[in-house]
Amino acid sequence: MKTIFSHLKPYSIHIVIAYTLTFIELASELLFPLFLGILINEGIMADDMKQIYFWGTVMLFITALTFAAGIVNSFYAAHISVQFAYSLRERLFSHIQRFTFEQLAKIPSSALVTRFTNDVRQVQNTIFMALRIMAKAPFLIFGSVIMALVVNFKIASIFLLTVPLMMLFLYFVLIKGANMFKRVQHYIDRINRIIQENIAGMRTIRSFVRSDFENERFSEANRLLATNTTKAFRFVEMSMPVLLFVMNLAMLFILWFGHFHVVQGATTVGDVVAIINYALRTAMAISLLTFISLAFSRAKASIERIDQVLAERAEEETSGDKYTEAIKGSITFDNVSFRYANANEPTIKNISFNIKEKETVAIIGATGSGKTTLFQLIPKLYEPTEGNLFIDDKPLDEYDIETLRNQIGYVPQKALLFTGTIRDNITFGKRDATEAEMIQAAKDAQIHDAIMAFPNRYNTLVGQKGITLSGGQQQRISIARALIRKPKILLLDDCTSALDLQTEAKLLEAIAKYNCTILMITQKIRTAKRADRIILLDAGKVSAIGTHEQLLQHSTLYQAIVQSQSEDVTYVS
Amino acid sequence: MFHKVFREPFSYEKIPLETAIRKEKDRATNTWQTVKRIASYFLPNRFKLSLVIFMVIVSSLLGLYGPYLVGTAIDEFIVAKKTSGLATLVVALFFVYLFHSLAIFLQNYWMVGISQQIVYTLRKQLFEHFHQLPISFYDTRQQGELMSRVTNDIDNINNTLNESVIQVLASIITIIGTIIVMLWLSPLLTLITLTTIPLLVIAMRWITRRTGPLFKIQQKDLGELNGFIEEIISGQQIVKTFAQEERVKKEFAERNKALRSSGFWALTIGGFIPKVMNMLNFLSFTIIALFGGLLALKGHVTVGVIVIFSEYARQFTRPLNELSNQFNVLLSAVAGAERVFHILDEKVEQFDEDDAVELDTVNGHFQFNDVTFSYKDAPVLKNIHFEVKPGETVALVGHTGAGKSTLINLISRFYDYDAGEILLDGVPLTSIKRENLRRHMAFVLQDTFLFEGTIRENIRYGKLDATDEEVIEAAKKANAHTFISRLPNGYDTKLDESGSILSQGQKQLIAISRAMLKDPSILILDEATSNIDTVTELLIQDSLKRLMKGRTSFIIAHRLNTVTQADKIIMLENGEIIEEGSHDELLSKGGRYELLYKGAVPNDKEDV
Repeated sequence: MKTIFSHLKPYSIHIVIAYTLTFIELASELLFPLFLGILINEGIMADDMKQIYFWGTVMLFITALTFAAGIVNSFYAAHISVQFAYSLRERLFSHIQRFTFEQLAKIPSSALVTRFTNDVRQVQNTIFMALRIMAKAPFLIFGSVIMALVVNFKIASIFLLTVPLMMLFLYFVLIKGANMFKRVQHYIDRINRIIQENIAGMRTIRSFVRSDFENERFSEANRLLATNTTKAFRFVEMSMPVLLFVMNLAMLFILWFGHFHVVQGATTVGDVVAIINYALRTAMAISLLTFISLAFSRAKASIERIDQVLAERAEEETSGDKYTEAIKGSITFDNVSFRYANANEPTIKNISFNIKEKETVAIIGATGSGKTTLFQLIPKLYEPTEGNLFIDDKPLDEYDIETLRNQIGYVPQKALLFTGTIRDNITFGKRDATEAEMIQAAKDAQIHDAIMAFPNRYNTLVGQKGITLSGGQQQRISIARALIRKPKILLLDDCTSALDLQTEAKLLEAIAKYNCTILMITQKIRTAKRADRIILLDAGKVSAIGTHEQLLQHSTLYQAIVQSQSEDVTYVS
Repeated sequence: MFHKVFREPFSYEKIPLETAIRKEKDRATNTWQTVKRIASYFLPNRFKLSLVIFMVIVSSLLGLYGPYLVGTAIDEFIVAKKTSGLATLVVALFFVYLFHSLAIFLQNYWMVGISQQIVYTLRKQLFEHFHQLPISFYDTRQQGELMSRVTNDIDNINNTLNESVIQVLASIITIIGTIIVMLWLSPLLTLITLTTIPLLVIAMRWITRRTGPLFKIQQKDLGELNGFIEEIISGQQIVKTFAQEERVKKEFAERNKALRSSGFWALTIGGFIPKVMNMLNFLSFTIIALFGGLLALKGHVTVGVIVIFSEYARQFTRPLNELSNQFNVLLSAVAGAERVFHILDEKVEQFDEDDAVELDTVNGHFQFNDVTFSYKDAPVLKNIHFEVKPGETVALVGHTGAGKSTLINLISRFYDYDAGEILLDGVPLTSIKRENLRRHMAFVLQDTFLFEGTIRENIRYGKLDATDEEVIEAAKKANAHTFISRLPNGYDTKLDESGSILSQGQKQLIAISRAMLKDPSILILDEATSNIDTVTELLIQDSLKRLMKGRTSFIIAHRLNTVTQADKIIMLENGEIIEEGSHDELLSKGGRYELLYKGAVPNDKEDV
């Protein structure tokens, strides 16, 4: 709820205007039966044609005024609700951009996406309604009740009993309904997740002929969504006939006592007619209440889900006094350990080493030995659970994250390109890059020629919506994306695995000219040999550090790796 | 500042609808067809639907009868001050009200059931259709955009079916009923009241001509936003390490703004409808009061008639009001439905030919006869001609983009060749049922895909009825058992989306276990071990060899040992076979393969 109000606050003046306009509409609606009463009493009963004309004209005038108010209200209400949705989405997005990886792992991306579209829209629609009919229904009810009480307190006092009872009932429906709709949204997440997974893994599914299996899996979630939605809708919609019946009982009461009072001469015909009119109006407003409770319970469910995301504490904002100077590129790990939140054992343990600026270091080790984890600590994607990390002898914490990351070029193991042109993807690393810089980076990454062979060259669309590139092409574009930044530290995570040896050799030669600290994870001894030093990881620990020759002499593990690649274990494309 | 506040809601940029409006005629037929198509989904539920319609008629009639009785009560008992007989009327009214509520309850209850059934079917159809679409369909689609169709677009239909159908039915019935009663009460007043109808028609036309296209634009913008968010969140690692948060925020803002402005106009103009109706409502009320009053003066009508009439005028305009409101909701549902049907109408992966056969066992004898394949008009494979004997291992070699992966896509029939023929055991590939063909194959693809679930479930994906022992056996063969047993929950370790628990290499080991478990006749390894360290690879090499023994295997690999040991090496360049033969044959030939091999093998061998 707090979230809703904080996002509506900037539009408080608009809201006041919108409500004022709604009030004008409302007032005329409430006044109309009154005018009719006056017209009957003073015009028809008194046989006065002038009064009829007069009140008729007044009603016409009010009609025009109300219409104008209504149209203007449309603009204001739409403005407020789309602005609300806009800023809520904006906030969610900025918030998620500051999430740590551990937080991102908590909520699957498919569920986050639902928050942005489905949930936000649920709330937006409710606000739009709130600014229009939602205000109208309660006011119509309370207005009618008060007017009826003013006209004749005794007859209308039945409202004092029924209306609070109805409100209580509605409140109960709303709370329970919100819980039910929360479950509905949860199943939408689930559906979304399965679809995302299926689309991403379609090739694997087809090749294993598992479409039936997946269809069944989806069916189950789909069925649960359908039954839960049915339950929730049925529950909330049942409130309307109940409320209507209670209100109609009140009508019977009014008829009975109204008649009694008129016969006794305690009240006039016009008064009873007016109260009956108000009762009818209230009954009608109740049907609106159902829509409102439906919308409200859905919105409540949705906003709670949005709040759940916003409640995650984001990566701390970089404050002004952090170090923002250019780095030289030396890296020191001092007794660093790291454990993933969902793991029992640390992935890397007590790692210490020192890398000089502009040094090239290869990291080698078995599958799962912690190479990638070690990499991710350097741009502070994760923070060590123990120990310290220094760049240029300054603890990582003292750096402004953005400045630091801007001086690092990272090439992940799995090349990930975004929907957009090749140009967009390469310059993702440096927004203001010139054409020449881009081409140079592409040439160094050994991908320029391949790009020029595409009909649209650098304007070729890639990513989810674009053409399908081979694994090697993706890797090289991803390398160009890192190179264009002219980083001080270059992190290459086994990113040449799909390249043939000649291409890889050319690439490494070109990269050497970048004159920066290079860390590269590799499986290949031949590649590792090019480095100044090699760090050998084994089960999360540093097993050996040194040059190829040193390791060959002292490390049995290293010898084993070399052995595994000897002679016939070389690479071709 | 105040000035700005007042102006803001009126300063949204107009969305050009001219083109959309000009195509009004096409759109109208399109809309109509979509509506008809949605309606066809009601067919299986026609019995329930007729019950709903019956209940709607009952509740509408009772809804009319109630106020009529109240009018009688006013005229006979309150105005005429009659003292006896009111009790009977009150009791009658009580039952009218009771049955009215009951009918409403039942109509809602059944309708929710029907609409959820329909929405369920739609989602199911869409999902199953996803599985029938050719792989090439996904090459250029954004995941998030497709997801939006199943959730957001279908949700639109969902809301409509729940609320609108009953409203529309009730409105029509109420309108007809009201007009009859009004005519019976006072034809003159009825005519006067109905003068507002033409105004209504004009206003509605003006509005819906705009909202129709607007809703469509809104759904499209929503889908695009969905796609963008999905992609960015999945790629957070890149965004973060490149410190590009501000940039993606800006890109997000663009899409967010687009949705804001289409949403604004859809809401605003759609919001006119109730206002117009309200105005007409007031107008008819005024007309009744004014003319009714004048008529009453002349003794043509009674006060009771005016009161009831004013009430009926409301009764009359209210359903119209709701009808018009629902019209808008309907249009937004149509916009959603069109996007759903658009996917459903996408051509599916060609169905297997009627005379397609199923092979019980496969020897794995492949013959490629002048196979040619083009992708999007660009030739990818040209005149591929070679033979693979049962049990042979074939290594595909060539530069990135030479056509190796495409060749594998043809073998597995993800794509079908344009010319020439591939024969498997003498049967053309295109006359074997796709699923049957793939059942005889196991794949380990370059891009390992693991699903949300436990490691055990992921391995079992290769053979759904495999026992736990078989799963472990397969993992042992793939050398995955050691690391799996070291995980806190072993085989029951849950893999989440980010997959941070496993390294890429470990994921590949699981994929290999999966293939081991499947135990196929044909094995396809596309860079299956690229992220696995060489020591581990050496360990699984033996199992792989054992796996490949007696099975026809196609291998794409960068590591020479796998290649050199192959029975046959096919070297591809620009989609053509340039060399073919065993390692020794090719070396002695002294061609491109030799060059490649020499470039790969270091001169100073003792060094390595």
